[in-house]
Amino acid sequence: MIPSVAPAPADQAVPATAVQPKSGAKAAMTRFGSHRLFTSPGGVAGLVWLAALMAASLTAPLWLPFKTEDQDFTAVLSGPTAAHWLGTDELGRDILSRTFAAAAGTLGTSMITVIVGVGLGTILAMVAAAGGDRTDAIISRATEIMMSLPGTVIILAVIGAVGTNIPVVMAILGVLISAGIFRVILGQAKSLQSQLYVDAAKVDGVSPLGISIRHVLPGLTNTIVVQCALIFAVGMLIQAGLAFIGFGPPIPEPSWGGMIQGASQHVYDAPWLMVPTGAVLALTVLAANAVGNALGKAPNTTASHLPSAAARRQRMKSVKAAVGATASAPIPSQVVSAKGLLSVRNLSVGVDHGVRLVTDISFDVEPGTVLGLVGESGCGKTMTALSLLGLLPSGVSVAGGQILWNGTNLAASTDKDMEGIRGREIALISQEPMRALDPMFTVGYQLTAAIRRLRKVGKSEARKEAFSLLEKVGIVDAQRILKTYPHQISGGMAQRVAIALALSGRPRLLVADEPTTALDVTVQAEILSLLRALVKDTGMSVVMVTHDLGVVADICDQVAVMYAGQVVENGKTAAVLDNPRHPYTLALLAADPHTNAAEDMPERLATISGQVPQPKDWPTGCRFAARCQFAGSACTVPIPLLPSGASDGLVRCVKADELAVEGLEWVATEVPTHRLLEIVEKDLA
Amino acid sequence: MSIETPVRQESPSALPTKPMLEVRDLVVRYGRGRKAAAAPAAVDGVSFTIRPGETVGLVGESGSGKSTIGKAILGLQNVSGGSITYRGEDITHAGAGRRRALGGELRAVFQDPNSSLNPRTTVGASLMDPLRLRGVSAAEARARAEDMLERVGLPREAVDRYPSQFSGGQRQRISVARALICDPQLVVCDEAVSALDLSTQAQVLNLLADLRDERGLSYLFIAHDIAVVQFLAQRVVVLYRGQVMESGPAAAVTENPKHPFTRALVAASPVPRPAEQAQRREARESLGVRTAAATTASPGGCPFRQRCPLATDLCRDERPALRLVGESDVACHYS
Amino acid sequence: MALFITKRLLMALATVLVVAVLAFLLVHAMPGSPGAVSLGAGASQDAIDAVNQRLGWNDPLLAQFFRWLGDAVQGNLGVSLIDGRSVSADLANRLPVTAALAAGATVLSAVLGIGLGVTAAVRGGVVDRAIGGFVGLLVALPAFWIGVIFVYLFAVQASVFPATGYVPFEVSPQDWAMSLALPVLTLAVGGAAFIARQTRASMLEALQQEHIRTLRATATPTWKILYVHALRYASLPIVAGIALQFIGLFGGSVIAEQLFAMPGLGQAVQTSVSTHDAPAVQGVVVIATVVVVAVNLVLELATKFLDPKLRAS
Repeated sequence: MIPSVAPAPADQAVPATAVQPKSGAKAAMTRFGSHRLFTSPGGVAGLVWLAALMAASLTAPLWLPFKTEDQDFTAVLSGPTAAHWLGTDELGRDILSRTFAAAAGTLGTSMITVIVGVGLGTILAMVAAAGGDRTDAIISRATEIMMSLPGTVIILAVIGAVGTNIPVVMAILGVLISAGIFRVILGQAKSLQSQLYVDAAKVDGVSPLGISIRHVLPGLTNTIVVQCALIFAVGMLIQAGLAFIGFGPPIPEPSWGGMIQGASQHVYDAPWLMVPTGAVLALTVLAANAVGNALGKAPNTTASHLPSAAARRQRMKSVKAAVGATASAPIPSQVVSAKGLLSVRNLSVGVDHGVRLVTDISFDVEPGTVLGLVGESGCGKTMTALSLLGLLPSGVSVAGGQILWNGTNLAASTDKDMEGIRGREIALISQEPMRALDPMFTVGYQLTAAIRRLRKVGKSEARKEAFSLLEKVGIVDAQRILKTYPHQISGGMAQRVAIALALSGRPRLLVADEPTTALDVTVQAEILSLLRALVKDTGMSVVMVTHDLGVVADICDQVAVMYAGQVVENGKTAAVLDNPRHPYTLALLAADPHTNAAEDMPERLATISGQVPQPKDWPTGCRFAARCQFAGSACTVPIPLLPSGASDGLVRCVKADELAVEGLEWVATEVPTHRLLEIVEKDLA
Repeated sequence: MSIETPVRQESPSALPTKPMLEVRDLVVRYGRGRKAAAAPAAVDGVSFTIRPGETVGLVGESGSGKSTIGKAILGLQNVSGGSITYRGEDITHAGAGRRRALGGELRAVFQDPNSSLNPRTTVGASLMDPLRLRGVSAAEARARAEDMLERVGLPREAVDRYPSQFSGGQRQRISVARALICDPQLVVCDEAVSALDLSTQAQVLNLLADLRDERGLSYLFIAHDIAVVQFLAQRVVVLYRGQVMESGPAAAVTENPKHPFTRALVAASPVPRPAEQAQRREARESLGVRTAAATTASPGGCPFRQRCPLATDLCRDERPALRLVGESDVACHYS
Repeated sequence: MALFITKRLLMALATVLVVAVLAFLLVHAMPGSPGAVSLGAGASQDAIDAVNQRLGWNDPLLAQFFRWLGDAVQGNLGVSLIDGRSVSADLANRLPVTAALAAGATVLSAVLGIGLGVTAAVRGGVVDRAIGGFVGLLVALPAFWIGVIFVYLFAVQASVFPATGYVPFEVSPQDWAMSLALPVLTLAVGGAAFIARQTRASMLEALQQEHIRTLRATATPTWKILYVHALRYASLPIVAGIALQFIGLFGGSVIAEQLFAMPGLGQAVQTSVSTHDAPAVQGVVVIATVVVVAVNLVLELATKFLDPKLRAS
């Protein structure tokens, strides 16, 4: 029971600004300007250095103070002087002049490796991806052979045959490198080939070559450019290495590797020489790598399910600040005494320093009952559920309110405290059972480890317990399943295992996040029956997140209908589904083809125009008003959650009473086209 | 384009008899070599016909081969046996040239709105492609693309936008527009609404129904959700492990299922009315269908026998043929 | 599994054969006939022809190749054109040097790289950025430059390690280790940077897997999630990265051997290529390939064994 409900706090309600349609060219310009490369300081610096070096080297004869072979015998092996800014070598030649004179050749010939290597690798990958299994197998085998060759040794053998013809050697190096490029690009090309739009193009009648060029190549561009930058760097390093061991350009001609080699001969008497010769090469390689890294997809550090130590410290700080104010709020006395009662009070969840994803959610879950959180995607159901376990994704945290469990406010608990709650008192099962289990360990290992940890029992007892848990969740050949790896069992079986895992700590509350969505409907029915039996046998309670009203009808005692981060209606399942009070609930039921039996299937289903608004677009008033058939001027102010009149239900609609009295139904109207025109302008990925 | 008979016909016998599409004893095996030959076929002897203007629903669980059948019809999957006849022409192994020509009449709407449109090309380019390939001028193709977008409820300006600027439901409208832009005869809808939320799902289902009624289209509507199929289809084909279990008029199959598997499937689909759902649950539990988890596919006999409450030795030894029971064809020895 | 191993063995054999053919053709494209090379400048054409005749240089290519292959299978890679010594014997002496170098560098770079990569992924924040910058710098510095700097620091400034030279293990294990220290360190720097990047990326990817959340939901201690579950998941690409490093280092040892005057395979390639010593070039290419392919095979099988999906199939 919810004693009192405050109106929703006004979020940073940004009025929806009308977006001007951009012309194609203009949009392309904007995209170019905001391109990743130009927003990364490293990338910009890298590009500038490479461009400057190239320009300086090509114009070298015009401005260099000395010719590359000029010898100044008055200053042999000198350090930096006014005449020789970077010093001189053992023959008194100016290092600065030689360095820049050598640059153009180095950069140019490295480009040969890039063009041959990346070009060949890309073409091979596209052919393999388009050509089917057999072609793929042949090309893959060939590249595997190439990759397991000692490349340097082969390059030297090539030099033996063709001499120090740098362009040819760099081209052959490109061929050897192409195998690695092929590996990198193949996976992506294959995934692009398997996209449905490729199937659609095939249905259109586009030829395989057309598909490769129009639908696969554009998707590879970024990877190709990244590889070009990285291979450019590799080419320079290898070329310098060859020059270092004496396979560089003919003697008087300067090369970076040769200059380092020369410098290394004098590391005893003129160690300074190592600095400019090495630095220019390192800087150029660094520049090419920086460009590549700026363009490349850096590993995502924020999607981690286990935030890094730094991220955890950060989160503790923000949670303390947000919840600190409410943590001291008095805890209702009936909540303190109740054992196994979950009481969520005015909970808000938000992106750190950003928008709220869930605002002012309140609900109670009595022991031994099932609460359904139902709504469309983007309503904040999953965020609400994960907050109960303190397992919100990185960058998202509780921004206010209380999660009261046995009298403790979990919203203000530290991660360490939560470790004592998770598994032992509150457990989780999730949507994709296959991905919820560790693919590298057997079912038996995962179960026994959890049981040993959560029940503090020995190995053999844990094994017995694992077996009986599997039987308890309806697995007949438990002994065999214990020895299998997750990929060897079906989805339904995996969900049973995941439930057994969740039960290993004898939890009092099970948070089930769409536990049957990925399963076949007959398997779904089995899993729901299992959950119902478990609730009955163990007296635990369940928070069931689902988008399926049928699932709610099947298993939930109470239901909270969520829309755009709020609860819009809650109460007993029978009351809410049979006699919905909120227009959104009404509309969801009308749009559900399962509501109707075959003989009275309507010609048209009822629809809700438009879509769930993004959190940044939530209005201060009723968040459903823009899509509601009954919306009026009264709907523009914040709407509180008020008793609906039906038993203990609550509803967040100013017109609820009016609608109930008039017995209005959500009708199957023609979709008002003007609402469909609201096109969401998003940044192009 | 010709609008033939009114579409919402309960009795298929009233429709013209020359089929739009005829699938006969279709067999699809994945892979090649001895291993593939020993494994059970993904599609194993499936037959059905689609009459002009008719919508046939293909229902089954994951792994039932329903999407594979759709792909085989569209020429996206090699066929190991049987035949696919489109308006009297055998297209089972049609070459690339013939397929290209067919591409205007035989169209598809795919499941995932995120992956069915190329994110790097404009909506207009995706829509105009099939027209341009058939020699329509750029200007006319663009005009038709704009008309089609308007028809599916999107602004004409959408031609110059990229898919990422649209929501999932809007993208699925674009997919529908692409499928219908060359006035096709038959559209294969492969789980066309299953990735959408309830409210958008209803929008797209209505759109599909409207366009069908307006243009006299035939649909092969592939879905795992029997209620969704029931909304759109006149006839339903129920698949289990690549074989047809039951096929017949939509109302008969969904309201009065004859095959034990169809019964299990219908009973397992929950309805959002708590009291009725409680009854359905009890009815389902009393069916005595065993769990799918412990069974493994084994060749020969009835594929459903390991889960079936009626199964006997006969079901293990002999694959039941389809026979008429009431209004439906049922592949069961005991129904 | 047995079938898989057989297939891979055949693949490895095919690889070596392909390289043998390649090496044979390359050597034949070298300037100068064997006679000209072995007799040196100023030899008469008749003398050169006589030597070429004796070595079968004028026989059909195919016949020459199979003769060479037949000998090679029996362990005879011919004699050097320059000093007339047995190529097999020479390479047998050199192989342990390069093997020690490459193996040492691979192990060292794996240890350093995995350590750095895991730390970066797990600690995040400033530590991650610092390691990222450091690693980025190491990738950009060429090994031969680093080698010279090491010589300057550890041999010239502080005489900790010998600057150049190699002491065989049989002579003095301690001096052997000392003589390897700088070359191994030189080679390991780049390798460690590469493996650190690979490890960081793999660890971050592992931590994004949903089963990590399940582990947290069952109160698994953080250290166990990181070092048992995530590292285990990340191990496959890391091992693959180490295999690539070994291939690279084995070939790349030529620079370290040149720099530190180590009598290894790399030095042999370098000198034999400079002197156009055809049998020696051919021999060293084939031997290097055999070693690299064999090690690669072992690491690949290890990868398969680490992945339950592949092990089961």
